[in-house]
Amino acid sequence: MFQILKNFYHKLGSYPWFYKISGKVIPFVGVFSISLIVISSIWGLFFSPTDAVQGDVYRIIYFHVPAVSVSQVIYYSISVAAAVFLIWRMKMAGVYIKSLAPIGAAFTFIGLLSGAIWGQPTWGTWWVWDARLTSTLVLFLFYLAIIGMQSTFASRKSADTAVSIITLIGVVNLPIVKKSVDWWNTLHQPASISISGESSISSEMLIPLLLSILGVYLFVFFTGLLFMRAEISTREQNKEWFKKLSSNN
Amino acid sequence: MIYFTKILKKEFLIYSRKSSSFIGPVVFFLISISLYPIGISNDPDILKNLAPGLIWITVLLSTLISFQNIFSEDYEDGSIELLLASGQNLSLIVLIKIFVNWVFSCLPIIILSVFSVFLLYLPLEGLKPLIISLLIGTPTICLFGALAGALSLGKNSITGPALMLPLSLPVLILGTQAINYSLNDINFSSNILLLTAILIFLLPIILFASVGALKLHFN
Repeated sequence: MFQILKNFYHKLGSYPWFYKISGKVIPFVGVFSISLIVISSIWGLFFSPTDAVQGDVYRIIYFHVPAVSVSQVIYYSISVAAAVFLIWRMKMAGVYIKSLAPIGAAFTFIGLLSGAIWGQPTWGTWWVWDARLTSTLVLFLFYLAIIGMQSTFASRKSADTAVSIITLIGVVNLPIVKKSVDWWNTLHQPASISISGESSISSEMLIPLLLSILGVYLFVFFTGLLFMRAEISTREQNKEWFKKLSSNN
Repeated sequence: MIYFTKILKKEFLIYSRKSSSFIGPVVFFLISISLYPIGISNDPDILKNLAPGLIWITVLLSTLISFQNIFSEDYEDGSIELLLASGQNLSLIVLIKIFVNWVFSCLPIIILSVFSVFLLYLPLEGLKPLIISLLIGTPTICLFGALAGALSLGKNSITGPALMLPLSLPVLILGTQAINYSLNDINFSSNILLLTAILIFLLPIILFASVGALKLHFN
């Protein structure tokens, strides 16, 4: 078992192998993820029951929750890749960070935006300096710093190392930010508003929500593969294997 | 050991002979502090409530002026390269540089913040937590500044501040909260302890990361 994992890990570090395998996987993941998103959206928007307290406005949950949860998962996965890059100097980890950071930033933005649109009718305001909103905003800023750092170095390797350092410092600091925002919040924020105020969700609403979360995760997987392939093809455009591959097509 | 005391001495000499390194942040701090009453209100009741946050944010922003100084000149005249090639403990050298930068750019501001208490009508019982939280919080900010400066060496981009300010958020929160606690007669020592914990926790990590970031420029 360990041997298989080790083999897989070593193969993962190779650009040609990844390029070949991802090319085969992408169509399936793409079709599956997009159809899941379409199905769960239609289910959530038209067929799931109306919420007793919030009315129809709660239906934005089918976009908000997947986006916010995936944005955090992407950050943690990026920081694992950063550690891998700094420890084992695996080139693929640098490609992973560079490709996934814009996706993560986009989903954080979608999460913030959908949260604001949801907050307007339910809380009566677009933005609340609530602990969770603030830490999501900080997450967004970290993503922006990672993306901004990519362009400041001429050499690819230096840029990847710099970005890995930032990502790891960010992941060390993120729990501190979260906790301190919690403490700050308790002093200023009235307890009347809370995101977790809803009681447990009924299964008719839960199933489309889970489907949409799964769909968005697969969609991130899909776009991640696409971005990584694009990044590999820019980095390796002058290499022999890539020329051979593109002349065959 | 002699090597490091020599570096410490050299850094002190460089900073003390280049007055712009510590006058810049101080002037920025004084100007901004005197602009707040003009821009917001001269009503003591309003300013009193805003003062803790205003002073802390201004300190945070004035460190932005100086954090590029930590490595940029040594980078331009090539002495960083010599330090990297010297085979000495780089983390310690970086620590010395950060410390001297803190002494020259943050310490004057902390001393001046005593006057800002009167300019912004902060009640006097807020003075003690203000000074203590600044004394313990600004070294952490200088650490972030050193990391940002090491990463964005030789480039005049927004990346440095964009990296540094979100990282400094916990320090800002705990610092202003300590002052607000003392104004409301709540014990603020937990905030000071947390600030100290953050400093001690991040010190080795950031030193290590800054050395790694410096090496990036000389591949």
